[in-house]
Amino acid sequence: MAPTEALPEPSNPLGIDGIEFIEYATSHPQASGALLERMGFHAIARHRSREVVLYRQGTMNLIVNAHEVVDPTPAIAAIALRVRDAGEAFRHSLDLGAWPMRTRAAAMELHIPGIRGVGDSLVYFVDRYRDFSIYDVDFIRIPGVDPQPPAVAGLHWFGVVQAIEDGRTQDWIDFYRALFGFTVLPSGRYFGVLPKGTLLESPCHRFYLQLIEPPTGAYELDWPERFVRVGFGAPDIPAATKAWRDRGIVFIDRGDVQPSDKGALTQAYLGGAMFELVVSDPSRGC
Amino acid sequence: MNLDHFAIDAATLAGPLASRLAAIRNGDFRQVMLSASDIARDAENERAAAEALAASGLRAAGLQALRDFEGLSGPLHDYKVGIAKAMLGMCVTLGTRLLLVCSSTSAYAVGDEDAIVGDLRKLATLAVPLGVRVAYKALSWGRHVNTYLRSWELVAAANRSNLGLALDSYHVLAWNSDLAALQEIDRDRIFLVQLSDSLWNETRSIEDRIETARHHRVFPGEGVHGAEIDDFLRRLDALGYRGDYAFDAFNDDYRQIPADVVVVRARDAAEWVSERLTRRAPVVRRIHAASETLDAQERRAIGRTR
Repeated sequence: MAPTEALPEPSNPLGIDGIEFIEYATSHPQASGALLERMGFHAIARHRSREVVLYRQGTMNLIVNAHEVVDPTPAIAAIALRVRDAGEAFRHSLDLGAWPMRTRAAAMELHIPGIRGVGDSLVYFVDRYRDFSIYDVDFIRIPGVDPQPPAVAGLHWFGVVQAIEDGRTQDWIDFYRALFGFTVLPSGRYFGVLPKGTLLESPCHRFYLQLIEPPTGAYELDWPERFVRVGFGAPDIPAATKAWRDRGIVFIDRGDVQPSDKGALTQAYLGGAMFELVVSDPSRGC
Repeated sequence: MNLDHFAIDAATLAGPLASRLAAIRNGDFRQVMLSASDIARDAENERAAAEALAASGLRAAGLQALRDFEGLSGPLHDYKVGIAKAMLGMCVTLGTRLLLVCSSTSAYAVGDEDAIVGDLRKLATLAVPLGVRVAYKALSWGRHVNTYLRSWELVAAANRSNLGLALDSYHVLAWNSDLAALQEIDRDRIFLVQLSDSLWNETRSIEDRIETARHHRVFPGEGVHGAEIDDFLRRLDALGYRGDYAFDAFNDDYRQIPADVVVVRARDAAEWVSERLTRRAPVVRRIHAASETLDAQERRAIGRTR
């Protein structure tokens, strides 16, 4: 690090600055791609050598990785965090007890350091996002496609929901606080249509993690620890809900899970993938 | 008698692992404490041990022991982190959620509190994605940490929810420690209590104490420190400890008589211990659903019951 560069703030040790991309893994990339297109994403580029496609809308990059994947249901395989210095973030994390990324069919050939996250997922560190695109190295643009398609209804990354086992909330709070500097939002402060679990705010104040333990008494429920869904922020939920409905997306609309001014939840697609809309100012999101 | 909260250490019995596990199960115990070194010696690999465990119907209360971990630096530290990762991986393979860590006896370890706390935090962080809890135990011959109170001070300073204590009656009582200080411990941070006694009133040297610990322990109720163990148990019970008790009666004689005979002694010990504890209801454990429907997927995704 050059001496003129600012040192990371103590409250944001890695200099986290939002989400660079979210990676889904699926063995049926066409079905996932069709679903994403209904949600307003556009295929922008294809990987040079693997069955990996980059989708984009507005400020959001989303990667669909089908390279050596066996499960058809799209699952969140990685979250790439924008950080001040990727190498430094990686070393710092390892010093504090992170596991280095295991060898697997990672989407990127460009060396992006990563650590083990929940379940089989990874957390990547990306520092080239201002004047250089990491996608220029690994991907080839799809001809005739707008590389910067606007977002539907102002959609932006809001956060990710993580399922955790019974009694493990504090373990995961400790994990995200120690490694990344996340903070717990005061109890009772929720967003969206599912006010439950524990909300953690990123040190850059631009996205959230929602930790959800299994419901009390749900002994019959299989509840593996993993990222379960992405939350998309939108400034006007009724408008966003209408836009998605017009594009063929179906929302859960029964009982106490109904689209409201706060948010909405889609039905389960492709064997279990759900998506959430959460009211949020796009200037705040990433 | 409710044996749900009692475990026998497999390394205290004679015979191949599978037959020892069968003896424990036939004695109506539900849990076994596993030793990494024992598995390395006896099973083809930890996967074979996991299969033997599954076949026995027993649950692994924990895996022991990561040794000489904290207070190291440079290549020694890196080496021990590698060992710790391997043992955490063994926990996952064996299906146990607890790794027991013994306080360091290494001449190369420093006693600096910040260094030890930092290392314990690092271990706790490594354990989080694997769903493992770390139980730190003060060996009475530990180089810098050798009393239960000191181990608690360090665990409390590290302040990680998946980092707690293992209290071993043999080591807790070795220094004739003041047991009144047990009430300073957060009961939820006691992850395991290990119980054993011995047949002589005093050990004359550290070497003598180590020799006794490894070769001459007996079950609680069989030794000469019954009154002290009684006091220890009643204080833990009053504190509200409701976790597991594991018998670690390492004894050369027990390892040369039939395992089922030793298990009977363990049952007697469980009865002796139970008489000193608040009566408990049987444990209900989570059962995972084998099949899924779309509704189940939805419920799982949004966290709702039927």
